[in-house]
This record gives sequence, C-alpha cells and structure tokens, in this order.
Amino acid sequence: MIRTLKLYGTLIGFVTILVFFSVQLPDTFLTARNLLNITQQVSMLAVVACSMTLVMVMGDFDLSVGSMASLAGIVAALLFSMGYPISVGIAAALLVGVLGGVFNGILVSFFGILPFVATLGTLTMFSGMAFFTSGGKTIFGRDIPTEFSGFARSGLELDQIGLIGLKLPYLSLVALLVLVVVWFILEQTIFGRRLYAIGGNQEAARLAGLKVRTLRLCAFAMTGFGAAIAGLMYASRVASANPTQGSGLMLDAIAAVFLGMTMSEEGEPRVLYSLIGVLILGILDNGLTQMSVDSYIREILVGAIIVTAVAFSSITKQSR
Amino acid sequence: MLNLKSVAGALVATAMSFAPALAQNVTVVTPYLAQPGTQMFVEGFKAEAEGMGWNANIVDTAGDVAAVISRIEDAVTQNVDAIVINVDPEQIAAGLEVAKEAGIPVIGMDSGASPLLQANVTSNGYAMAAETSVYVANRIAGKGRVVMFVFDPFPPVQIRGVIADAVFGNFPDIEVIDRITPDVQDGGIADSRAKMEAILAANPEPGSISAVWAAWDQPGLGALQAIEAAGREGEGIVIVGIDANPQARDAIAAGGNFEASVAQDFVGIGKATAGVVSRAIKGEEIKEDVVYVPTVLITTANVGE
Repeated sequence: MIRTLKLYGTLIGFVTILVFFSVQLPDTFLTARNLLNITQQVSMLAVVACSMTLVMVMGDFDLSVGSMASLAGIVAALLFSMGYPISVGIAAALLVGVLGGVFNGILVSFFGILPFVATLGTLTMFSGMAFFTSGGKTIFGRDIPTEFSGFARSGLELDQIGLIGLKLPYLSLVALLVLVVVWFILEQTIFGRRLYAIGGNQEAARLAGLKVRTLRLCAFAMTGFGAAIAGLMYASRVASANPTQGSGLMLDAIAAVFLGMTMSEEGEPRVLYSLIGVLILGILDNGLTQMSVDSYIREILVGAIIVTAVAFSSITKQSR
Repeated sequence: MLNLKSVAGALVATAMSFAPALAQNVTVVTPYLAQPGTQMFVEGFKAEAEGMGWNANIVDTAGDVAAVISRIEDAVTQNVDAIVINVDPEQIAAGLEVAKEAGIPVIGMDSGASPLLQANVTSNGYAMAAETSVYVANRIAGKGRVVMFVFDPFPPVQIRGVIADAVFGNFPDIEVIDRITPDVQDGGIADSRAKMEAILAANPEPGSISAVWAAWDQPGLGALQAIEAAGREGEGIVIVGIDANPQARDAIAAGGNFEASVAQDFVGIGKATAGVVSRAIKGEEIKEDVVYVPTVLITTANVGE
C-alpha cells in the first residue's frame, strides 16, 4: 500500500488536479483549445526541464540555465538588429549555449568544483554578459524580424483531424522534439545509461572504466544547448529579448524534475516524469488563473504541492 | 419519479430567480505589480471595479513577460468580459491577437498604444511639457536665456521637448541658449551636472542664465547641483523638471532653484482605465486610441500634500 502510494502519489495528485479543474471549469478546461494552449505555455519550461534532467540524472545541477536562456535570446536579437539573417542569429545563440554548457562542464568535471557553486558563478557571468551586450535594454520592435516572432504564433493546422480552426503550436512541437531526443539519449543509448551509472555511484562508475569527466562535460554541454533553445523560444514568443527574461525558468525546471523524481522507483530523474512535473506546474497556472485565484496564493499553492510531493515521497521511502 | 423531476425543476427555477445578475469578469495582467507606480494603478482600478460589482482578477507574473501571454490566453479561455494590461503591447502581441480573435476587449493601463488595444489610458506627455514650459515663461516674465535638457531618442521624452520648443519659440524675448541631450547611462544626473557646469563657465555673468527646462527630473537635479556648486544659486535661475520623483519633490520642498515638476496621477489612471473598461464591456466602440488622465503641477504650494 505504502509502496503504491510512494510510486503513484504524484501521479494520483496529477490526476486529481486534472479532475478538479475539469469539474470546476466544465466549459473551458478540458477543451482542445485550452489543452493546446497549455502545451504552448509550458513549452519553454519543458525544454529547460528536459535538458536539466540530463545533468540531474548524474546528481548534478545547472543553475545557469535561466541566464543562459536570456543570453541566447539577447545574442540572437542583437544579430537580428545588426541585419544578419535569422539563421545566423539562431545558430550563434545555440553555439553560445553549447559553449556556456562546455564551460560549466569543464568547471564541474575537470576542476572538480561543486555544480551548485560552479553554475551559480556562471549564472552570474551569463547574466552579466546578457546585460553587457544588450546595454541592459530590451531589444524589440523593428529589430526583431516578423518571421522570427511569427514562429511562436503559428502552428500546424489541425483541421484535418476535426479540430477546425485550431493549430498545434510550433513551440509545442519544438518541446516535443526536445523531449523525444532527451528520452532517446537517456533511455535508449549507452551514453544515457552511463549518465545514470554516474548518478548511482560516481566512484564506482569511474572504477568500472567510464570516462566520467568527458561524460559529465557532454551532459552539461547538452543542458546549455537546451537552455539556448528555450531562450530562443521565449524571445520568439515575446517578440523581444531582455537580459532577465529567462531567469524564472531555472527554479521551475528544478521543481519539475524534483516532482518527477518522486514518481520513479529509485528516486532517479526520468525525463517523462519530468514532463509530468512540468505539466503539473503549467496546469496549476492555467487552471488557477481561470478560477481567478490570486497570483500570490497560486505561488504558495505551487510551492506547497512541491514540498508535499517530495516530503511524502521521502517519508514513504524511510518507512520502507 | 415524475414528481421528483418537477421538484428538482422548481428548485432550479427558484435558485435561478435568486441568482444575482451575472457579474462581469475583468482580468488585469501585469509583470510589474512589485513596482510602486503599478500598485497605484491597480489600487485605483480595484476601487472602481468594486464599485461596479466586477470580479477583478489581478494577475502578477513577477517580471515574466511570456507568462503575461499565457495568462491572457487563460483569460480568453475563461471568456472574461475584458482584459487590462500594464506591459508593452508589442511584446505580448501573441496574446493580444488571441483576445482580438475571441472578441474580448483589451485596454492598456499606461502600456503604450497598439492597434490591438481598444485604448491606452495614460498621462499626456504633451500637456506635461506645456505645464512646465509655460511655468518657466511666466516666471521669467517672457524674457531671458533658457537652457533645455532633452532626450530625443526616447519617444515619450522627445514629445516633451517639441512642446517646450514651441512655447519658448512663441516668446520673442526668450532665447534658448543650449539644447542638451545628456548621457543617461548613469541615470542622467551626473552627466547633466557636468554639462551644466560647462554652460555656467561659458556664461559667467550673473543673470546670464534665466532658467533650466528639463524634460525629466534627473537633468534638472544635475543642473541644480552644478548651480549650487558654482555658488550661483542666488541668481534666481528657475529650474523645472517632469515626473515629480521623490528627489525632485525634496528639491522643490527645500525652496531652492528647483521650483516645479509635474506628477502623473497613477491612481487616477487606474480609475480611468476602469471607466474605459466599463464602456468597452457595454459594447461601445472607443474612438480615442489614447485616453489621457490630467496631471498635477507640483510647486512649493502643494509639494507637501
């Protein structure tokens, strides 16, 4: 019984939230339009949470993802404003993401700095770079090409499957793609299994002949890459870039992965469970806004749910 | 069974007849609720909304602009009667388009104008500049040499300079001896002070400068520092600013050269926004894209209020 609760507690919570909103908002919550909205609203967080899962399976953290997302947006927007084509701006932003991730990886795996400390430092560095390069200003208006901001406003027409007038947003598709790629890496490749081995016992993994340093470096590089993707998605959605706009993503992403971890038997992060964590956060925002719940109460509720889920999971673990 | 049905029907009918007239739902979305100005907008708006019996839902996204779009989408899903925003409409165009498609009016509360908004409620920058430039012209009796601090790269400030140019140009005996654009990297005070020091050095005769007109408070404060540092505060140089920030209010209260500034009525903007929302909900087509709320000239007479 306790075991079932431990494993399925969060899932039961998730379903309860769905049922609750469906009952409270019978006309609007479980509609195709609203569900599609939710997928778009959580898409950026989903990308960051999925990439965060890559380092968290090794027991590491990357606190710099939010400021990396901001920096990537700024880099792209600056290049757009200088007249470079969209492809160049996007490529440069993604490159910055990878380089930042590699830098994190070097600090963590080669210098042996605790990820919490190393990425706290790079968080500040990336944020400073975003402020410096942008002069602290928001880049918007004519500087942002309409094709770039148009991406976040369009999607695949769903008329053919009977959802007349609705679109599957491109942002949701990007998030889905990232999810599939991360799932494939973690669950279907040797590389992924090795990351889990490091998370299980880093010393044992090293003694077993795994190139722990290189593996960690690669994982951090991928997380930086993912953060840059999220930053570009954000910039496209708000048709502008601001040196602080990604900062909210980091804590939510960690919260989502933690929520997900409560669902796995070994207490490991799994990317599909991280997605459930993201959906819990996103659906709470969506439903509580529709129920006109005060935004500060909403924050308290979201925090309480995370604490409850994790506390519940660790109590049931102890009683095993 | 039949009986039960009719009883239930009667119950429902009774409940319906007692139900109050459906209240209007209005959602206010802003990323800036932590800022004092926004709080005053919202305070004014809420006071009016309560009077009209609306359900006003105030949503703060704590600086997250993308979340403003998400919350607008939610409000549209919820089919609210109107949405109010306090954020640059250009950045949340994705959300405004969704609202427009659903036919839900969106009103800007000091947000900037946009064709996707029914109207934007704000202060009139032209009128604010007219207040202070006319104050200067009257104080120096339509005669004298004036230094202007302007900032044309920023449109809301640029329009202030245009009005001051026109007012001073209309007085044949007022000469604008310099029209300075200070460097604003450090907030505008320090560089304005340096620029003013140079002007004072170039015009050493007492009385050779009659007034300093600043398009916002900081350059006026910088000029005040320069005048005081040069020991020329006794020459009767009149300084005016715009915005009436706390530092400017202190300077005005001190009774020195800094004599006047203009304050926006933040609570009034919130109240006027509610007025526009009420018109939009009734289905009125709002012709004026921008609705102006009167501002207040702040001088020693009313700075303590």
